[in-house]
Amino acid sequence: MKKIWVVFLMTIMLISPAFGASSIKIAITGPFTGGSAPMGASMRDGAMLAVTEINAAGGVEVNGHKMPFEVIERDDEAKNERGALIGQELASMTDLSGVIGSVNTGVVLAGDKYLQEKGITKIITPAAGSASMTQWSKAGVPELSIFRFAADDGIQSAMVVEDAIKRHFTKVAIFHDSTNYGVSGRDDLMNQIKKQGNKLQVVATEKFNIGDKDMTAQLLRAKAGGAQAILIWGIGPEMAAVSNGMAKIGMKVPLIGGWTLCMSNYIDNAGKNGDGTLMPQTFIEDPITPKAKVFIEAYHKAYHVTRIPSPVSAAQGYDAVYIFAAAVKQAHSTDTHKIKAALEDLQEPVKGVIATWKHPYSKWNPADEQTHEAFRRAQVVMGVIKDGRVEFANDSDKQQFIENASK
Amino acid sequence: MITAQIVVSGALMGLVYALVAYGFQLTYATSKSINFGQGELVMLSAFFSLTLLDWGVPYWLMVPGGLLFGVLLGLFVERAAVRLALEQKSEGWILLTIIVGLLGFSAAENIWGRDDRPFPTPISSDALRFFGISITPVEISVAVGVFALMGLIELFKRKTLLGKAFEAVSADREAAELMGISATRAVMLSYGLSGLVAAMAGILVSPITTVGPTMASALILKAFSVAVVAGLDSGFGVVIVGIFLGALESLTSFYIGSGWREAPGLILLILALAARPNGVFGKAGIRKV
Repeated sequence: MKKIWVVFLMTIMLISPAFGASSIKIAITGPFTGGSAPMGASMRDGAMLAVTEINAAGGVEVNGHKMPFEVIERDDEAKNERGALIGQELASMTDLSGVIGSVNTGVVLAGDKYLQEKGITKIITPAAGSASMTQWSKAGVPELSIFRFAADDGIQSAMVVEDAIKRHFTKVAIFHDSTNYGVSGRDDLMNQIKKQGNKLQVVATEKFNIGDKDMTAQLLRAKAGGAQAILIWGIGPEMAAVSNGMAKIGMKVPLIGGWTLCMSNYIDNAGKNGDGTLMPQTFIEDPITPKAKVFIEAYHKAYHVTRIPSPVSAAQGYDAVYIFAAAVKQAHSTDTHKIKAALEDLQEPVKGVIATWKHPYSKWNPADEQTHEAFRRAQVVMGVIKDGRVEFANDSDKQQFIENASK
Repeated sequence: MITAQIVVSGALMGLVYALVAYGFQLTYATSKSINFGQGELVMLSAFFSLTLLDWGVPYWLMVPGGLLFGVLLGLFVERAAVRLALEQKSEGWILLTIIVGLLGFSAAENIWGRDDRPFPTPISSDALRFFGISITPVEISVAVGVFALMGLIELFKRKTLLGKAFEAVSADREAAELMGISATRAVMLSYGLSGLVAAMAGILVSPITTVGPTMASALILKAFSVAVVAGLDSGFGVVIVGIFLGALESLTSFYIGSGWREAPGLILLILALAARPNGVFGKAGIRKV
């Protein structure tokens, strides 16, 4: 009997990670199928590129020996209920070091509470909806294990309004879809217009539903009001219908909106009507720095494409993994709680493809969710669509990006 | 001028509702049953046509190919979901057609993915201007296609022997059978035609709506309203109601607000059902006791 106990205990010691794990286990979650898949799959592929690079070099140094990453993938299909199930599953894993991912704000709201309960470290990327982080500041939680690595809608709407003012527009129309994302985007835009001195007169506020294809009536209202630009918050296919509708009624004004305008299903469905569309971007598929060149080429080669479906998601996924790896190294541990503490006070700068990240996060302050947001205005630029690709809208931004990366 | 533009744009979308609604009518006429998965037929045919184009089949050959696929789908629905239920005088076809539709939806998601994809067409989408109203050639092709197909089917029903048999079964199933007409065949024919109409709708609207598994889900609800408001046994009534509903939707979203877009269709449906339960253009049912 005693012997059996000894064998039993030894087996537990062998399989239990607490007694010395051999790898750093992380989960990558997101919609890998469905309408949001260009973002989810690009994020995953970008992140896996970073994981492959790190593992090829032996892994991350933890307490003197190198440990590779072990990745589990979960497809949330952009469905809130799947997000909740995955959140519960991941929260029940005792050996999980962290989670990276989520594209849809609704999925974040449904799933993250389980991770936060157990204190499992998560880096949200590329979900941008403000509520993902403000839910925690509103609840006033004293400790938070959720971090974000994406330009939030607050920054984006500020940039959209700023851009419209910079182009000397005075009358604009706001278009948005009827989802949470679209409606909160509309509110963000309205707030920003007020905040930036009411220089823009909103001549029409128009709503459309997911699946709507005929936008003529909404566009004619905007046209009748004399809108010089359309500010828009929605996702690819419907925004493409807006672009195509504008071409039909001969309305030649720029479309300026959230970063979702760079989705391949917008660019492909709008075709040449999409040219000139402007949106905030954190990464542009343009080899402006040696690091970006290597990243873009490696992505194209690894996944056999000539265009990254969502370059922003891919680059954010890539950098998020490197930031996570840096936190593991600093924590000297695969324990998710220690990694969280390290993320809140990251000492060494992390050289990423978007920028060099210096102290991206700080200690969580319930009064200011910016403590767990990595992106600031300086890391975001305006992109413009030209011939089916996203390019820098302003040359000065391009220079700024090159500088950011070399700092 | 703006009003005219809105009416024209809305009416063109309304024609598509009418075409799908016409598919409901065809099967209702012969069998008093409706394919609740008609929207999936539209979507599957559109995906199949897109695949043909991807294989390098030229556009003008793709059209008959896509239509044939639609006919086959219609026949499949009839055989798998409708025939047995009708033979047993049960209402099982309601659930069965929904199930076949759901299967089609899942199949499309797995075969073609869940993304909305553009549908290439040789017809230009650059706007033409008539008296200050912009219309694209693609939209004109929708109108032409809808009228041509409906005209041909109506001619077929009136002028050919097979078509007359179809009409006979629609008028009185028992009497037609006593005259030696196979009602089963007529029902098959009606489902085949209904599949054809669905495929045509898919090919015509895809360049405007893009192709994706959910492309027909909004369309089908409106088509159903059109069919019910017009009356399930009125041939060209659907066209009038379709155009009316399409224009009304656009006018509402312009003059009242885009949030109210769906409201007039629903109010119309309630009013029509309250005032004329058999549809505005429907015949009142006379039942001999």
